Amino acid sequence: MTNIENQIFSSYQKNPDLYDEIYDSEGNVKDVYQKLFDIYGGHSIQDYVNLNSKAKSSFFNQGITFQVYGEDNVQEKIFPFDLFPRIIDPDEWDIIERGSIQRAKALNLFLWDIYHDKKILKDNIVPLELISSSANYLDQMNGVDPPGGIYNHISGTDIIKHKDGKYYVLEDNIRCPSGVSYVICNRTALKRALFGVFNHYQTHTVTDYAENLLEQLESVKPKGVDIPNCVVITPGMFNSAFYEHSYLAKNMGVELVEGRDLFVENDFVYMKTIKGPERVDVIYRRIDDGFLDPLEFRPDSALGVPGLFAAYKKGNVTLANAPGTGVADDKAVYTYMPEIIKYYLKEEPILNNVHTYHCSRPDELEYVLENISELVIKPVDEAGGYGISIGNRLSKQEIEEVRKQVKETPRKYVAQPIMSLSVHPTYIDESESFEQRHVDLRTFTILGKDDEFVLKGGLTRVALKKGNLIVNSSQGGGSKDTWVLKKQ
Amino acid sequence: MTNYPIFTSTMSKEYTVTYSSDNVYENWVYDAYWQFLIMPFENESQEILDIDFKNSLHTINEFSVNGYGFKTIRVQSKKKFKNVTFEGRFKVLKSEIKEPPIPSRAEILKSYEEINSLTFKVNFQRFLKTTGLTTLPIGNKPLFKFDNITSIIENLHSLNNWVYQHLHYLTGVTDISSTLEKVLSQQSGVCQDFAHVFCALARYNGIPARYVSGYLNHESGYVGDSQMHAWAEAFVPDFGWLGFDPTNNIIENSNHIKVSHGKDYNDCSPLKGVVHSQGNHKTNHSVVVKNHQQQIQQ
Repeated sequence: MTNIENQIFSSYQKNPDLYDEIYDSEGNVKDVYQKLFDIYGGHSIQDYVNLNSKAKSSFFNQGITFQVYGEDNVQEKIFPFDLFPRIIDPDEWDIIERGSIQRAKALNLFLWDIYHDKKILKDNIVPLELISSSANYLDQMNGVDPPGGIYNHISGTDIIKHKDGKYYVLEDNIRCPSGVSYVICNRTALKRALFGVFNHYQTHTVTDYAENLLEQLESVKPKGVDIPNCVVITPGMFNSAFYEHSYLAKNMGVELVEGRDLFVENDFVYMKTIKGPERVDVIYRRIDDGFLDPLEFRPDSALGVPGLFAAYKKGNVTLANAPGTGVADDKAVYTYMPEIIKYYLKEEPILNNVHTYHCSRPDELEYVLENISELVIKPVDEAGGYGISIGNRLSKQEIEEVRKQVKETPRKYVAQPIMSLSVHPTYIDESESFEQRHVDLRTFTILGKDDEFVLKGGLTRVALKKGNLIVNSSQGGGSKDTWVLKKQ
Repeated sequence: MTNYPIFTSTMSKEYTVTYSSDNVYENWVYDAYWQFLIMPFENESQEILDIDFKNSLHTINEFSVNGYGFKTIRVQSKKKFKNVTFEGRFKVLKSEIKEPPIPSRAEILKSYEEINSLTFKVNFQRFLKTTGLTTLPIGNKPLFKFDNITSIIENLHSLNNWVYQHLHYLTGVTDISSTLEKVLSQQSGVCQDFAHVFCALARYNGIPARYVSGYLNHESGYVGDSQMHAWAEAFVPDFGWLGFDPTNNIIENSNHIKVSHGKDYNDCSPLKGVVHSQGNHKTNHSVVVKNHQQQIQQ
């Protein structure tokens, strides 16, 4: 390595205890990163400061913002974007892609089963208690056949690389996983800032997501419909992911609607237009189950459409994802994923699961209560990284508080060993240099009637606070463009 | 020659149920959607002879089905209004309910084995789980425990009697969101509360139980709400669902006209509406159950 290559990495500190994505075990830059390393190393830090601000303005100009809940002053923020892309070689990607599809398919079969024959419960592979105590299990979905047999049309799988170099799944998000618009916008921003680097790599495109989503949504149209009319329904502009809702509608070429734009008559769904009512066949819904239909679920919901569920149950409209899908992204169900995959697919899981302790089991609860400092404690039904306690970051007093909470409501918590997320060089504003930061990866898998699609890219999220392990955007995370290389 | 099933002389009663609802709003209402869950249910003992539903807005009544498979009537307003009335008339033929036979010793043993099997628990999980309105207060010793020596049906009769003895029928002391903790500590309430207590204790003993909403023949002399009555159904192995009316300490008979069932009241509320209005409004519901021909011989 020459000095010039190291110009901007000269102050890069490698912690030997962490798995660094760009270096191999001997400390050499990995082959796939070498070219990028050389190119980036040819720039000065000042170039970076300039490029970084250019990328930021690209985000503001594209209007890609989100909101953080739970803060007093709710404000629009940009999702911090990092200029140094993450590269995944074709062989590793193959594992991730096959593993993501395997999980999505297994979850879909699981959902079908627990809303029909419930064989997996009767065979005692998954405990009945998990389903009967889940707030996300919808009794109304019993015996309902969703069009095309699909429940989780869109799955977001959160994957990390542990220090053993293996990929582990942390979560399957199948309610309304968000983030895909960032994947595409990250690519756009990086191309605007550093177009030249793309000439040196054969990278899969990510801009084909919307067309694939539309194609798969159309494949699950209701029976008897020839050319389906699809829409995206959003809770509205105050939702943290509103940008994404509008982005996807625009790029699929379909209408973006709110509940009040739709109405149900004689169990068919219509959209109000200036030309009169227009029938709607497929709804990509970005509102939660509880808000879909005030006549069936939360009566106070102003976001939904009265009568929508009856229309769905009659098979006159498709909802993606299907109502009641959330029962399977409960963190307690996650822990049975290896068994679920084997049960339905008769295959070994391709991606690893993190070992999980169920606080609802007395013996495991005892272990958890005694080892909080070495574990991550997670509430089973919270999304977005809320309510997570990382044992080795807690003070004695905080540990006591967590212990008390878990003891009071053990069913609400699971615990996992603290995983060491891999790190990746990330440009840090404050120090104006590259530093190691923890990263994860969310893949986006779409299931259609007879086909599936995995976006070749995914969202690499970065925990921007030094040493922080929580990468969610709502917890102050950023993101990176993620390159999946084509097979040579 | 065909063998016809032997008819015991079944008593049937023909009823006309009239449900009316009067609503007066202080200000104009521009947008409204109502869903009524008030039509008698069709099953072995109930036959619907005629349905008539009117609304004063003269808009079309839509007939649909709710998430649990019960028939609903829906009305959407197309123009502004301040007053609206609804009137539903349902003609129903109700026959006597069959009671389960007295089980043998061996059948009793088998039935307890059955309710303890995982398959049974999975199949009936919806009516075995606790809901917000059927949560028993914790900490107390079991309020009612089944005696495994006697049959499930006998235990259910005892439970029915227990609820009847334990609670006093008193209006105005509870509402549709009252918890069992409140009902059991004050030992009083209305038919909804009796039904919730029955369901909770049956489920506690491993018997699937469901809340039933319906009408009561007022001429029968039974105690119940003048609008919608509530009772419960419990699942008896080798027989099926059997209705228990703990408010009256009887099993369901030809004076009960069922509309719907669910885990608790929330699955059965007779009227759900989305009405965008400002200011006060007054609602007046009434139900009249008329028995036309006393006892038709079948």
